[in-house]
Amino acid sequence: MPDRLDITWIALIGLALATLLIPPLLPRPLLGNALLLAFAAVKGRRIVLDFLDLRMAPALWRGLVSAWIVIVLLFAWLASAAVAVI
Amino acid sequence: MSATDCEQRGTGWGILEDLPGDPMIWVLIFSELAVFGLFLGAFIVTHAIHPAMFASGQASLDSGLAGLNTIVLVTSGWAAARGTAAARTGSKRASRRWLLSAMALGGLFIALKLVEYAGEIGRGIGLETSTFFTLYFLLTGFHFLHVGLGIMILAVVCRRAEPAGVETGTAFWHMVDLVWIVMFPILYLVW
Repeated sequence: MPDRLDITWIALIGLALATLLIPPLLPRPLLGNALLLAFAAVKGRRIVLDFLDLRMAPALWRGLVSAWIVIVLLFAWLASAAVAVI
Repeated sequence: MSATDCEQRGTGWGILEDLPGDPMIWVLIFSELAVFGLFLGAFIVTHAIHPAMFASGQASLDSGLAGLNTIVLVTSGWAAARGTAAARTGSKRASRRWLLSAMALGGLFIALKLVEYAGEIGRGIGLETSTFFTLYFLLTGFHFLHVGLGIMILAVVCRRAEPAGVETGTAFWHMVDLVWIVMFPILYLVW
């Protein structure tokens, strides 16, 4: 019976494979990049909660590490969107 | 509040004590995340300034091999998390087995990354080929060194397989995993 760690691992593998399929299947910069980076955010969040084991840690620490993920990925999307629009 | 009161309440690390493993590893983890965040920020800004150069650079990279390395590293992270879970239940033998698997997969990540570097160098690509490749080699090289350091840390904590030590070592390993997960699409795929 798979537990939470196994389910997270399977989800990470699935998202890693899906990530590689996005560029050929969705070659539109705004949407394709948004999806790529959203998948990375979901993978990062699962690592933070289940592998780094911050699910039960104080919200401050969970929030700080999650904020790092969101800020870096959102910045990447905004920069790519700016290039695509200009 | 006296010093004795402080000692009775904890080890003096304050709110860092609520994190898994030794609080000192978390000082290192937050410092590393800040450094990688700045590095990635510099890459993103330079990408926006030179989109054509970065598109050409990305087209020369082997995203399939890097994607395979993502699978290798997250599987290693899963093995390390299993090693922590086993150490917490007092099963040292199982913990060691999982940690050795995590280290072996970390070694495979390094081997695949070396194959990738060898392919790029074989095609005449180097640090000075373009700004893209300067940043690419610096970022992935810095991460590569962290994978090597992470394997050494896991080897140290694997010997005794005590819960606190294993939590400390695997926390660093998961940080290395997390950085790769964020770095991979930004370097190889976002266009």
